[in-house]
Formats: sequence, C-alpha cells, structure tokens
Amino acid sequence: MFFPKAMTEIELIVPAKDLLAVTKVLGSYGVFHQTDSNYPGVASGASSTWQETAASYAAFERRIQVAMQGLSIDEGQSPAAEFEAMVDLEKIRPTLELIEGDIKKVGDQLSGEKKRLEQLESALRQLEPVAEVDLDVSTFRNSRYVHSTLGLIPAANVDRLQTSLAHVPHVFLTLRPDSEKPVVWLVGAQSNSDILDRAARSAYLNPLVLPEEYQGTPEKIIQSLHQAIEEAQHNIADAKALLFKLAETYQQQLRKLLWQVHTSRVLSDAIVRYGQLRYTYVATGWVPAEDLEGLTARLRTASKEILIEALPTSRQGDNLRVPVALSTNRFLRPFHMLVNTYARPQYGELDPTILMAFTFPLLYGAMFGDLGQGLVLLVLGLLIHNKVFAKGMQSLGLLITYCGASAAVFGSLYGSIFGFEGQSIDTYLHFHFEPVWMSPIENILSILSIAIDAGIILLLCAFLLSIFNSIRSKDWAHLIFGHTGLVALVLYISFLALLGAFLSNTALAPRIAVAISKLPLPFNFIALVFGLLVMFSGFFRNLVEGHRPLIEGKGIGGFLMFFVQSFMDIFETAISMLSNTLSFVRVGAFAVAHAGLSLAIFSLAGSEPNLKFWIVVLIGNIIIIGLEGLIVGIQTMRLHYYELFGKFFTGGGMRFEPLRVTPSNEEG
Amino acid sequence: MAKGGVSAYAAINARVRAMYSDLLSPQDLGHLSDAPDVLNLVGQLKHTAYGPYLDDLKDKDFVPRRIILQIKGRLADAYHTVIHLAPEHTRPFLTQFYRYFEVENLKAVLRGIVMNSSWDHVRDVLFPIGSMTTLRLQSMVETGNIVAAVDLLDNTPYADTLSFAMKRYAAEQNLFPLEVALDLNYWRQLWKEAKQLPVPDRDQALRIVGSLLDMNNLMWAIRYRVYYQLSEEELINYTLPFGYRLRDEDVRAIAAGVDIPSVVERVYPGLSDVAALLNEPRSGLPKLESQLKRYVMKQCMVAFIGNPFHIGVPLAFLILSDLEIQDLTVLIEAKSSHARDDEFRPFLLKTVLAE
Repeated sequence: MFFPKAMTEIELIVPAKDLLAVTKVLGSYGVFHQTDSNYPGVASGASSTWQETAASYAAFERRIQVAMQGLSIDEGQSPAAEFEAMVDLEKIRPTLELIEGDIKKVGDQLSGEKKRLEQLESALRQLEPVAEVDLDVSTFRNSRYVHSTLGLIPAANVDRLQTSLAHVPHVFLTLRPDSEKPVVWLVGAQSNSDILDRAARSAYLNPLVLPEEYQGTPEKIIQSLHQAIEEAQHNIADAKALLFKLAETYQQQLRKLLWQVHTSRVLSDAIVRYGQLRYTYVATGWVPAEDLEGLTARLRTASKEILIEALPTSRQGDNLRVPVALSTNRFLRPFHMLVNTYARPQYGELDPTILMAFTFPLLYGAMFGDLGQGLVLLVLGLLIHNKVFAKGMQSLGLLITYCGASAAVFGSLYGSIFGFEGQSIDTYLHFHFEPVWMSPIENILSILSIAIDAGIILLLCAFLLSIFNSIRSKDWAHLIFGHTGLVALVLYISFLALLGAFLSNTALAPRIAVAISKLPLPFNFIALVFGLLVMFSGFFRNLVEGHRPLIEGKGIGGFLMFFVQSFMDIFETAISMLSNTLSFVRVGAFAVAHAGLSLAIFSLAGSEPNLKFWIVVLIGNIIIIGLEGLIVGIQTMRLHYYELFGKFFTGGGMRFEPLRVTPSNEEG
Repeated sequence: MAKGGVSAYAAINARVRAMYSDLLSPQDLGHLSDAPDVLNLVGQLKHTAYGPYLDDLKDKDFVPRRIILQIKGRLADAYHTVIHLAPEHTRPFLTQFYRYFEVENLKAVLRGIVMNSSWDHVRDVLFPIGSMTTLRLQSMVETGNIVAAVDLLDNTPYADTLSFAMKRYAAEQNLFPLEVALDLNYWRQLWKEAKQLPVPDRDQALRIVGSLLDMNNLMWAIRYRVYYQLSEEELINYTLPFGYRLRDEDVRAIAAGVDIPSVVERVYPGLSDVAALLNEPRSGLPKLESQLKRYVMKQCMVAFIGNPFHIGVPLAFLILSDLEIQDLTVLIEAKSSHARDDEFRPFLLKTVLAE
C-alpha cells in the first residue's frame, strides 16, 4: 500500500509445442509485463515466420477496422468469454473479402456519386457568374479566332499568370472574386492558343469542364445541372441507406472477426518478442509477486514441461528497469491520478498516494471551508462519479467528493454556510450556527500562523520521508548530505528556531517554531555548522561516494568557482527553506479570502432579503464554487507538487503494462 | 507592450546558444570525413551530440537511410524545442517553417505510391516530424493510388492546393504539378507569416528566409530552363516573385532566355566560375547549389552578431542544424558507397566554409 506492488522477474522456457497455450495464458491472465528476451545463447526475437505472422494479423486487423469504419460500426465491447488462441486467417479471409467486396461496391457507388455531385456543383458555381450572358457556350468551344478559357484558379496565382502573359495580347477578367478560388476568364487570339494554354495550365487554372451534352446558354445549362444534382443527391441517399443496411447485416460478424484477429495479433506480437532456442522459446518479464502463484498454476496447466524461474526483486539499488504496478484501490484512484501526473514512483520508492489522500482533502478543505458549498461539491462529485454527467471523469468526481466533504467539515469548524457567517445566519437563514473552532475572517493572524505551523509539520514529514527513502535505497551520501538529508533537516530545525525567536513577539509567530526556539540548544552555532555542511555538501557527497575529483575544475580558478557555487547553494537553500515554509500561509490566506469574497457578494446583494438579494447570493455562490473551487484545487496541487513532492519523491518509474488480449478497463 | 524583446527571447536564446555550441565544428567534420568507412563514421558520431540518436541503431540497421533517419531525429527535437520556447507571436511562423519537412514527407509519400513502395520502405525516407503533423501518411501509402491518397488530405492545409493540381495529375499522370504546387504554396505561406511578424523579427526572418528562398527560386528557374526547357510563361508561373536579393526581374530575365551566369553573378557577386559550372550543368548545378547554401550559412552566422533578441537567432540555428545534417548525409552516402575524397568533399558545406 505504501510502496508499489512487489514484483518478481520471471523467465519461462516454453517447449515449442506449448507455445500458443502458454502465450494464451499470459495474454488472458493480464499480469505479465513482457520484456525482450535477449541474452547470450538465445536468438533475440522469434523467427521471421512469427514476425510475418504478426504482420499478417496486423494487416488483417487494419482491414477489418477499415471495413468497420466504412460502415460506421464501433468496436463494441470485447467479449470476456474464452477465445481461440490463433485464428486461421485463411478461414476468415473469404468472409472478410465478401464483406469488403460488398462494402467496396456500395462505397465506390457512393464516392462516385459524391464526386459527380462535386463536379456538378463546381460547374454550377463556375457558371453562376455568367448566368446572365446570353451566349451559347459551345461558341467558345468552336471559335475560329478567339481562344477562351473559363475556370477556377488559386487566388495566389492570379498575379503570376498575368505576369507570365505580359508579352502576349490577352484579356483577363475575374468574373467572381474569391479569396481562395476566383472564377476567371482568359481570352486571347486563337493564334496564341498554345501560349495561353501553357500559361493557364502552369498557373493551375482549371478550365470549366462541361460535358458535351451541356449545350446552349449558361442559363439553360444551369437548369440541367440543377436536375443532375438532384439526381446525384438521390443516388447518394440510396447508397447511404444501402450502407446502413450492410452495417446492420455485418455488425456482429465484423466485431467477432475483429476480436479474433486482434487477439491473435496481440499473441503473435508477444511471441515475436520471445527468444528462440532450437526446440524451445524463452519469455521474460515481470509479474506482481501476489499474482505469481496464480500465473504459475495456470502456466503449468497449459504446459507440463514448462520451466519457470522466478527471481524476487529487491527494492534497493538501481531498479529503474522494474515496471511499477500501483495499488488499484478504487477509492484512491483520484490520488493515483494526481501522483502520476507528477511522476510515477520508482520501484523502491515510497508511493506518496496515501499521504496525498490524507493531505489533499485536508488542505483543500482548510482553504475552501464552507459547509453549504462543500456539500454542493460533494453532491456534484458523487453525480460525476456515478456517471450521471461528465462521463469518463469518475476519478475526478471522486476527488471532488472528498474535497467537498473536507470543505463541509472545515465549514462547520469555521461556522460558514453558503458564505453566511455569525449573525447573518440568524438574520437570513433563521437558525443559529456557531463556528465549532474559529472564524478565519475574525482571527486572521491566528489562522495564518496555524497555516504556517501546518506547513512546518508537512515539511518535516517530507524530510523524514526523504530520509526513509534514502535509508531503504542505502543511498548514504544522500541520506546525510542530500538537499533533504539529515544535515539539511538539522539546518531546517535550527532555521525554524531562529525564525521562532525572531517572530516570537508577533501574532504571526508559528507556534512550532517558537517552541523549538525555546529548547536549550545553541541554535546559532548549530545553524552555522550545519549551514557550512550544506554549503559544501557537494564536496562531502563526492567524498562519501568515492567520486574524484572532489572539486570540479582545476587550479585557483576552479577553487574560486567551487566557493562561489557553494555560497550560491547555501543562499538558495536558505531562501527555499523560508519560501517553502511561508508558502503554506496561503492555506490560511485562502480561508480568509473565502470569507472576504462572501462578504463582497453580500455587500452587492444589499441587506433586504428580497428576490434580488437571493439571486445575487445564488449567483455569487455559483461563482465562488466554480472559480474559487478551481483556484483552491490548483493551489492545493501546487503545494503538493512543489513544496512536498520535491522533498522526497523522485519518480521516473516505468509503467507496468501487462500483456492483455482485452483492452484494460481502467480509466486512463 | 511591444512583442518580443529581451524578456521574450531570454530563455530561447540561452537554450539555442547551448544547442548551437553542440553543432559540429569544421574540425569535427574534417575528422568525420577522414573516417575509413561508414561504421567508423557512426562510431565517431556516437561521441557527438548525435550519440543518443544513434545508440539504438542495431548492426542490421547500418544502412545509410536508417542512419540518416536517426540523425534527423536531432533536428526534429531542435525544432520542437525552439517552437516550444519561442515567443507566442512567432510560433505560427516557426510552425510554417517546420512544415517544410511535412511537405517533403508528403512528396516522398506521393513518390512512394507511384513507385508502388511499401510503407516500411517509405517510412525510412520520411523526416521524423513527430506530433506536429496530422497527416495520415501510412494510410496514404496503403491506398496505393494518388487520387485516394490525396483524398485523405481533406481538412489539411494541403487539400485546396492539391485539388487544383490534381486536375493536371489526372490529365498528365505526372507528380511534377503536385510537387510544384506544394512547394509554391509552402513558400508563399512562409513569406506571408514572416511579413506578419513585428520589427525586428520581420527583418531578420525576411533576410534569412529570403536567402533560402532566393536559393530555391534561382535553382528552380535554372533547372526549369536547362533541364526541363520550359517555356517563359511556365517558368514564371512555377517560380515566386519575392525574395531577399533575387528580384522578380531576375527570374523573368532567366525565363526570357538571357545569359544565366550574368544574372547569378549580379545577385551573388562573390560567386566564381558560374559560367563554367553552367557549361556542365549535370555536375555544375549541384556545385552551384552548394555555393548558394554556403551563402545561406553566412547569412545565418550574421544573425548571431549584434542584438540577439529576435527570431533570427533560433531561425539561423535551425537552418545551420539542417545544413549540418545535409553535410552528414553527404558523408554517410559517400562512405557507404566508398566514394573518393574528391567526389564528395566539394559538397561539404562546413569544411569549405572554414577554409
């Protein structure tokens, strides 16, 4: 729960005769994260026959998908029932070809009609500007002395065309201006027809192409075109109806075929990654330790002679190559989502999901404390989570639910309900509601001070978690001299003591810092010593880890550079300790701002509880829930990502992607 | 508040300067040229900034096109970094500039279809443009015919351009009109985007992009006349009327049949032996193109002098990176075909520049 699932590396030696049965088990059980099998003595990758097989399945799968797209059929739910390991492509080929043939026939008819419609409409568009010209179009076709071209041209080519004909007598008219495709008319002497044609062609002037049967004036042709367009539209509707009928006929069959071929493709892709010996195949990968027994039992049922070697994996040392499977507790899923947005934990690293599940709603509620608005968020979250609306965002819905519940609890502590506080609850809502703890707006400095205290606690926890991670990974240099190691922790505590002593007489003084400052310890001296240690931590880390040279750079210049860099390090550390700690002031500040924003709305609403008052209060509450709710969410995320995770969480783990013949149902 | 300036360019400048320092020096390129074979060349490249891109290359992938594909990955990353860090107002321009590779990919796909090549084959010659393209190139290749492939470009910036050119393809069954239409459209759009930039970005962009455009426009004009023997009106329609130093009058003069070397020497006074190069166009034109590329390189170097807070610096870096890849491509092809030194060294841009 606190760490990614324990993983076991497994290596399977599979007799060739059981290859399919074993792969089928691996694919259907969904717990095997496959890796490429390549080590000495084993040919990496299975034979080219399997590669060809996998390619054939992939090509078939694509063909089926294209056919389904052509009929607008979705993939549907993958059947959970037993499946045939490898479908024989030769058996399904005739069926698929038959379906493809039917689709192609209707599809060609449809695209042919569409193209015809497009041509007719294009001709119509070109003729419309000259509709009033009372001249037989065939006159242009058969003129003895005049060469004429009427058509569409890319607007960008018009100037260039005219430039190219600068030395040739011609008339160029734009009949219908258009920013993309103007209709133009180019006329010149028949003796220059070659030049005019070449120029028009090279400027991509597409002449109006009217079939010979369109004779007469433009008006007459337009009439004929309208009739032809109507006919084409009718044919298109018929073809679409036919396609719809085909879709109904073939829907089940195509989905079944897709599923069969998809399964075969996934399995053959897996086999391609196996290593191949003479009579056996080698599959390697990772399995969550908790699933190993189940998988082993199934594999042994599938193959009596299979050899299974399992190597438990230590969480220590370099384990970046180990895939990371996280707990799949559905109540924690929103926090998994948030953690993964930052980074996926490494295998040996503490998974911060549990910590976040506790601190995220806590900080959110503290900033957005309002009983009424919190309950609204809670209901909203439940509706999203239960797919009443915003489907596909169930995790976000659950997060909103948690945050809403926390906001409602803090609302009770702050005595705030839909922005009403204290006497205004009695006046407008007609009941009495006292803060269980304190009203932020009336105790501004106290709430800010408490927020800093909460931040100090969380930062100390982050330091301790970092130390814990370093101990587990036996990273001693980082444990002692890392930027969140023991030396830095002591420096932070002495820094807090100095801060506490400095602020002790102010109302803003964080109580924890003041309490530390009262301990009988020479914090000035400790801060100085540990400050120096942090300052030269790079040097000490090199010393502990045995890296040479201890100081980068040579000579006096290198030494000076090292000093400047070390000074900047301690300067940056001190600044970040202060800013990290004070960053949590925002928790209190937002609690105050929430009450302040509510007050602003009430001052807009007025004091009389009439209809206008309630409308303004309603709209104000909607704005607060939408806008402030979002901003507080972003701030909470920021506090976690920048102030907390940066202290102890490295991330960069590899995603656990088990071999699966069915797509995962997990939310992305 | 004016767009650009120190605040907008501080981060990108620092990053570009760092990446610029990773470009190969003329000395590096000299050492690479001395490599006895392609294996040794790749071994040396692994110790440069191209190393991470070549690490995954297996022995069976040691063919020129695979190696070139891998090293192009670095250029693609450089583009992504620059576009990501560039000030907001320059991104449409830079995105259009990057589209050059999308256009080249599109042309390669169309050629692949005509030659009945499989997707696996075509894929190797494509630029690894990454997530910035929405073209379904694989599906295009799999259609197996140009008309169906172009149909898949609906709702892309190329649909309108190709819809005009497709009429000519249908009549001529030749990719030439499609490729020319794509090229002209690309440069027109780029020029338009550059002109929309605020000063001083606009001046820098027009100078650098204009130099590139001059080179292309001039080479098109010469090739159309020398190789294709196109008519005056065709040549004018297949070239562009703008650029940095090359004027429309120059292009029209070439189209009208005037002496080409006189035009080239007027536009590029520093070039030598233009007439001799054009006497032997088959070997001379590639050499002339190399000289023009070196001129573009010089224009890019100028961007690194003086006020650095403008689009010129990242733009120049991208072009220099591209030209470096072209140098490496020459080397890889030369080493794998065991070409003699005198056959490939004249085409290396950076070493000659250093001399």
